[in-house]
Amino acid sequence: MSTLIAIGAGIAVLAGIGAGIGIGIATSKATEAVARQPEAEGKIMKILLLGSALAEATAIYGFVIALFIIILLA
Amino acid sequence: MGNLGESLIEELTCETVFTVHGIGISESVVVTWVIMAAVLLASILLTSRLKVENPGRGQLLLEHAVVSIQNIGTGIIGEEGRQYGAYLSAILIYIGIANTIGILGFKPPTKDMNVTAALALMSIILIEFAGIHKKGVRGWLKSFAEPIAIVTPINILEVFIKPLSLCMRLFGNVIGAFVIMKLIEHILPWVLPVPFSMYFDIFDGLIQAYVFVFLTGLFIKEAIE
Repeated sequence: MSTLIAIGAGIAVLAGIGAGIGIGIATSKATEAVARQPEAEGKIMKILLLGSALAEATAIYGFVIALFIIILLA
Repeated sequence: MGNLGESLIEELTCETVFTVHGIGISESVVVTWVIMAAVLLASILLTSRLKVENPGRGQLLLEHAVVSIQNIGTGIIGEEGRQYGAYLSAILIYIGIANTIGILGFKPPTKDMNVTAALALMSIILIEFAGIHKKGVRGWLKSFAEPIAIVTPINILEVFIKPLSLCMRLFGNVIGAFVIMKLIEHILPWVLPVPFSMYFDIFDGLIQAYVFVFLTGLFIKEAIE
């Protein structure tokens, strides 16, 4: 049973893949944008942080589900 | 590893500190009281000797800080909804302090899902109130069928999804940072946690406070458009 719980929690954390890809794309675009227009760095930084925080939320949901699986089923 | 799992679960559950007439007062409530007392005391002390003429350096700094916090709120919702700016500043200060209070050894109250659920509930009530206040009840009901009638079920569902996502985002981020910090402290309790604490406690905590306020402001702006 505990093996199944561990596998389930591991699968739930796979949600992090999407967030990783998303934040990676956002950061690459932000780097390009700063290289093109260095004077807009402050604004770009703000938007990048916000976008990363929103993209990160999907990973967090996966993490919360994994935590619930471990705590509630164990 | 078994020992670690048990101690983690022990840390994650919010214990009841004391009971008043059968009502349990949990740890997050007590830490919230501490934050409230600190903010109240700071407000009284900082504003007790304000002058109109020849303001001191402290007063200028304070005015600058207050204006910049207010600008965060009104910058998101715009001039139209500036009466909601005070709520946004208040919640920004509270969540900001609550997320970073882990440095002082308290358990962050936002680690308790009941706290984030209450915050999200307050936000969604304010969002819907802003919509009703601006458009009237009929206009508010009609706004569910916009832009076309077929999206009405999705719009109704959104009323429940918005607070759920606000609640889960804050809770998940804080508890994730908390678990990772506990794991790092378990591996090496001396020097290693310091840079990670900088990131997880201070940086991530403040970013999440800003994200919560930003999303609430964005939803309010959407509601009063």
